[in-house]
Amino acid sequence: MNNNLEEQKLKQPSSISEKVLGKISSGQIKMRPRAIFILKIIAVILAVFFAAIFVVFLISFIVFSLRSSGLWFLPGLGFRGLGILFNSLPWLLIFITVVSVIVLELLIRRFSFSYRRPLVYSIFGVFILVLLGGLAVAKTHWHADIFWQAQEGRLPIAGEFYRQFGAPKLNFVHSGLVATTTDGSFDLETGRGETLRIFIASSTRFSLDKNQEIIKKDDQVIILGKRDNDSVQAFDIRRVDKRFEPFDRQPSPRPMRLRGR
Amino acid sequence: MPELTNLTTDEAIVRQVQLGDSEAFGILVKRYEIKILHYARKFLFNYTDIEDLAQDVFIKAYNNIQSFDASRKFSAWIYRIAHNEFINAIKKKGREPVSYFDVDVLWPRLVSREKADHRANEQELRKMLDYCLNELDLKYREPLILYYLEELDYQEIADILHIPVSTVGVRLRRGREKMKWFCQKSGYHYEQ
Repeated sequence: MNNNLEEQKLKQPSSISEKVLGKISSGQIKMRPRAIFILKIIAVILAVFFAAIFVVFLISFIVFSLRSSGLWFLPGLGFRGLGILFNSLPWLLIFITVVSVIVLELLIRRFSFSYRRPLVYSIFGVFILVLLGGLAVAKTHWHADIFWQAQEGRLPIAGEFYRQFGAPKLNFVHSGLVATTTDGSFDLETGRGETLRIFIASSTRFSLDKNQEIIKKDDQVIILGKRDNDSVQAFDIRRVDKRFEPFDRQPSPRPMRLRGR
Repeated sequence: MPELTNLTTDEAIVRQVQLGDSEAFGILVKRYEIKILHYARKFLFNYTDIEDLAQDVFIKAYNNIQSFDASRKFSAWIYRIAHNEFINAIKKKGREPVSYFDVDVLWPRLVSREKADHRANEQELRKMLDYCLNELDLKYREPLILYYLEELDYQEIADILHIPVSTVGVRLRRGREKMKWFCQKSGYHYEQ
């Protein structure tokens, strides 16, 4: 019965089907070649791939920057540390990362596995993946090596970016290697290649450091204290693990700027 | 090429069209023109160029037929093209606001699927859709049309509107509630 109805319907003259078929036979409308659609899909997949790589790069670079500037260790220094951390975060990089994640999500949203799920789940999934990727890259020496190439003037394209954001100049947080020690002060060589004189007062705290009386040459330290030209009155000093970029540089035949000066 | 019969699936016909049998496309147009016209009339009330828009849907479908993945449902694909065409027409005429983002896409509250009693009331609901549909916002109107009038399932509606499956449920439920309110306001009694 239904088949008969459909058969009758198919036999009935249809204005739309006649018009459309007329346009097809006269060549007014044409099928677009399959290659165009394949190229479009490839372009979208490549855009997703490069956007993901870019976000992973940014996240890993932010982690590197936080570690090299000493900001990474501030949460261990109490509320004051957290306040300084908030004021010193690389907000521009964080903003670019957030925008890039949104762009990545918009690209992924074209695929059914994404749009069939609530946006929150999709964004959360994307964020977790790029965050894990970023942290994995941040664990390698990759950024530290590039940073040193930039410091030595051997990185023409992204050199300025690495010099500016890789070890940012901060007013209240200073990290680096102890170069020389004297009574009541020591010299600190920073990732930016500067030497700061750090003054220790009786009120200076040595956070989370049981060997506070010993500040030795080549120690890696984070100093909290307001910078005045090239000197800093420290109110908090923290010694950090030796494995700390960018100072934990892999052995290289190239001359180093910080060590062995 | 194999002979096409009434029982040949849409997807098999599309494969023929993709291989160059343009005449086979006519069968698809005949199968779907009433549905698309119906969808357009319900979705775009007060529009005079419904036939032209429906024709454009089939022209777009033919243009892009090579992009169709024959492992998926043709019905959802052609309705997606129709949805895009109709939304573009609404934007062009500027008669109704078209929202680009809704909170219920961000994190839809989970709702149960249609219950048996809803299905039992479908006849009544269809009558009401004729009576009060025009009062509803686009975002509620469209899922109601696709679910109750075009008889598509949640998954197909999600694929047509590019929204989460759970959002389809949320919009259907809210759409019914709003429709009930509008119907009661205008003197039509609705038993949910």
